[in-house]
This record gives sequence, structure tokens and C-alpha cells, in this order.
Amino acid sequence: MKPQAEVEQVWPRDGRIRVVGRLHGVPPDAGSRWRLQLTRRSRTDHVLRYDADLDGARFACGWDVGGLAAYDGFGAADQWDLHLTDGARTLRVGRKLDDIRGKKAVMVYPEQRVPGADFGVRPYFTVEDNLSLECRS
Amino acid sequence: MNHPRIRYLLLHAYGRGGTIRTVFNQANSLAAAGWDVEIVSAVRRRDDVQFPLDDRVPVTTVVDLREGVAAPRERGLAGRWRARRRDRLSEAPAREVPRGEFGHRYFDRRLELALGAYLRSLTDGVLVTTRPALNFLAAAHATHGVVRVAQEHMNHGTHRPDVQRRIVETYPRFDAVAVLTERDRVEYARLLPGTRVVRIPNAVHSLDQVPAHHDAKIVVAAGRLFPQKGFDLLIPAWAKLVEAYPDWQLRIYGSGEKKAQLRALIEEHHLYNHVLLMGHTDRLDDELAKSSVYVLSSRFEGLPMVMIEAMSHALPVVSFDCPTGPADVLTHGVDGLLVPEQDPDALADALGRLMGDRDLRAQMGTAALLTAAAYGPDAVHPRWEALFSDLTTPDGTRRGTGAPEGLHV
Repeated sequence: MKPQAEVEQVWPRDGRIRVVGRLHGVPPDAGSRWRLQLTRRSRTDHVLRYDADLDGARFACGWDVGGLAAYDGFGAADQWDLHLTDGARTLRVGRKLDDIRGKKAVMVYPEQRVPGADFGVRPYFTVEDNLSLECRS
Repeated sequence: MNHPRIRYLLLHAYGRGGTIRTVFNQANSLAAAGWDVEIVSAVRRRDDVQFPLDDRVPVTTVVDLREGVAAPRERGLAGRWRARRRDRLSEAPAREVPRGEFGHRYFDRRLELALGAYLRSLTDGVLVTTRPALNFLAAAHATHGVVRVAQEHMNHGTHRPDVQRRIVETYPRFDAVAVLTERDRVEYARLLPGTRVVRIPNAVHSLDQVPAHHDAKIVVAAGRLFPQKGFDLLIPAWAKLVEAYPDWQLRIYGSGEKKAQLRALIEEHHLYNHVLLMGHTDRLDDELAKSSVYVLSSRFEGLPMVMIEAMSHALPVVSFDCPTGPADVLTHGVDGLLVPEQDPDALADALGRLMGDRDLRAQMGTAALLTAAAYGPDAVHPRWEALFSDLTTPDGTRRGTGAPEGLHV
């Protein structure tokens, strides 16, 4: 099957966001090192990277939302898209393999305030069921 | 066709509530059996009806509230006076519908007067009114020869005191009062001595449903996001289950005014990965077939039709033993589990019992399917036909003689 970074749970809590899921269609390779990559949609040269833990096909990655504090000055809202990458492959993080359509309105997560900035960040599913972050003041 | 006309008066035949759906089902099967049926909508806010309705069943409206079709432009001095009077009455509060009627806000004086005039114009056939406000208006105004049947979907104790009093005062004027559960039949018969009180449950739209296979880790609830449905009790109950059953989902179908509060409750209990507010769906059948358990957390019910629909998909049910309905339908330990009302701990324990035991789900689900059969169209609709035939038999000789037909000795 087509490689897919399938989200199972998203935990925005206590100033951190943690994403847990499973890689599908990716042969297990003990040597590869996976990282979660946040790419700012309006300025794709703005990228934040965090180490992801791999246990077989299961991945998990948590990070402090404080890393976004430097990226204020946006208008009404600002979006960041999530990818998992091992250097060779870059997979959009999303949730495509279940039966729920229209996740944007159904799987809704609480906002985390960004310390030292006047905005909050909330994980959300796009209309294509991919996982992104939205910053809003 | 010698049948007299059967008219169903609904508050809003163009809405999508459970009463409307069941009345349409009744109308469709009566029409198919050769009866002359009409749906009368007190108000109209939409262009189209929201549920399937037989082409032979006309829908008429008493007051059309759609924008742009309001009222024809009135001409002349008298016309302008009439238009002004209509506007004034639309702003005047209802006088005849008691304040405690849960639908009181939908009534104003103009609607009351229009309904009164309509009801006084009926001189034949059968009129079936479908909620307390309409029952009260029919008791007062439908007095020119029409046979009257009041449908009462709620337990007497669930109504507010002013409505309770008016029920006792006015329902004896009806030729029959139709209630949904046995518990209600006994209670209304006691409150309305001498009045004919019959129990006719609502029918599910079909018994020909895809059965659930009980493997999916999905529990379904459905209903308007409104305090009556008790989703604010269900969410804390799920918080007690999430550690033992982390890969199960609770899917709540429906929309409504309490959505933001329920969302806040989900966030407070950190259940955003496990409890999903699914919104309204047009394909609840498909969603039920995909799940494994149905849960009913209501504070009160009339007869919970979606629960019975879930049972027709072979889903076992966990329900509060609230007034009325669940205990009328369910046998505890056979086709579901009944727990003390408004007790989230007990609800969680019962859900856990089923979530942890696939065999129990399958066994109770099969029993639920058998229970649901009593609420199929073929089981329910003959009861309406029998009631209407009996009420309209000219000399009334078949009523209460106790002698079986054809046994003249």
C-alpha cells in the first residue's frame, strides 16, 4: 500500500502536543531515524523539527508549543503542516484509513496557549483529513 | 373506499423530528391500505418535507411562515387593517397554550386563532393531534363532528404542572387517547377515568436492516444535543471507561444547542480522542450497522425510537431506566442492560460489561433483534387501522359488547 503516516491519537495538553500513530506501507528499518516536521504554510522555509520515537510501525512524537512563539505577527490565523520524514521519505501526517468523513468538524482538539506569545495553537484535520496546526490570536 | 378521511395535525410537518417521521410512516401505510389520509401542518417553514411520504397523502398548511410567501399583499383600507391586525397578533403571546408546554415558544396568538378556525371547520372523519398544545386546541375547537384522537408521547409526570392539569381537564373530551408505552397507558387511564386510553407504540421505519457484527469497538448514541438526552451524563461515564478500553470510540450523532457545552465537557475530561460529536447524519442506519453497542443516557423519553432502530440492527442496548420507554422495551439482562437513571457510574459499569465481552454483545444483540420485531410496521399499523375502524363504525355496536363477531347463538 501507499506509505501513510496514520494518526491514531492527538493529545494537546499542558502546553504540549503529542501525536501517536502508525506507519503503513513502510518496511521496518531499525537504522532509520524519523523526525516530525512542522512546515509553515505561508513561509515554507520556516520549519521546526522534532525527534519521533518508532516502535515497530508505531510512532509517537511530542513537543512544546513554545517553539512557535517566535513566529507571531501573522494576520487572523497561521497554519503549519505536519510531516514525518526519515530523510529518504517524507509522509504527510493524516488520518485516512478509518470510516469517518469530515474529520475537520468531528475530531476537534483543545487549544494550547503559546507561552511568551499572544496566540494559541490548535491541532486540526484539514478537509483532506491531514493533520495541521492552526495558530490564532 | 369507504374509509373516512384521517387527518394528522402536526406542528411542523416540514421538520425532521421523530414525531414527524413516525406520523409519515403511519400515513404511508394507511394510504397503502386504501385509507384517505391528509397531513396538516400548523406552520410551514420549509419548501419540502424531510421524510418519504406517499404521493396520495396531501400536505396542507394552516399558517405559512416561509419568507416571501408570507401573505398576499393586502389592498385597500380593510386589507391594510387586516394586515396590521395579523402583524399585531403574530407578536402577541399565545393565550390558550400553557406556558409549560415544551413547544410554547412556537405558538403565538395569530397561530392559535388560525388553528381554532381550521379546527372548527372540520365536520367529518378523524382528526389525530400529535402534541399537548395541539390536543388542547382540538379539545376546545374541533367540536363540529370530527372524531378526535389525541396522541400523547410523554409520561404525565414529565410534563410541567400547568400542562399536567390541562391534560386531566381536556383529554376526556377525546374519543381516544393514544399513548406509547404500557406504563403510560395505565397511568393515563387512572388519570382520565372513562376515557378510552390505548397503547400503540410508534413503528420503526423498517425491520429489514443490516445486522451489526459486534466486532467494531464503537458505541453509538444519537439524539438532539439537548439536556433531555443526558449526553452530559454519558461523557463523564466514558471518562471512567477510557483507561480500560482505550481503543473504543463513543460516537454521538445529532446536532443542537448544547454542542459547545458538550465539547467543553469532552475537553475537561480529555476525551477528544475517544468521544466524537458526529453531527447530524442522513444515514444513521449505516452508522448503527457499523457499531457494537447502543447507549441511551436520556433523563426522560416517550418511546425511544432510535434505540429500537438500533435493536433492529441487532445492537444490544445500555440504558438509564428513565421514564418512560426503555423499561417498556428492554428486558434487563436479555436484550440490554438497564441501570438506575442519571447514574453515570452505573452506566459506565454496564457499558464496560458489554465492551469487554463480545459473546455477550452478540447474544444480547440477537435478543434485541427479536424484541424490535414487535415495533415493525406490520405489527403496529394494524392497531391504528383497528382503532380508526372502530371509532368510525356508525352505530358503535362493535364497541365494548364483548361478543366475538360471528358468534350469534
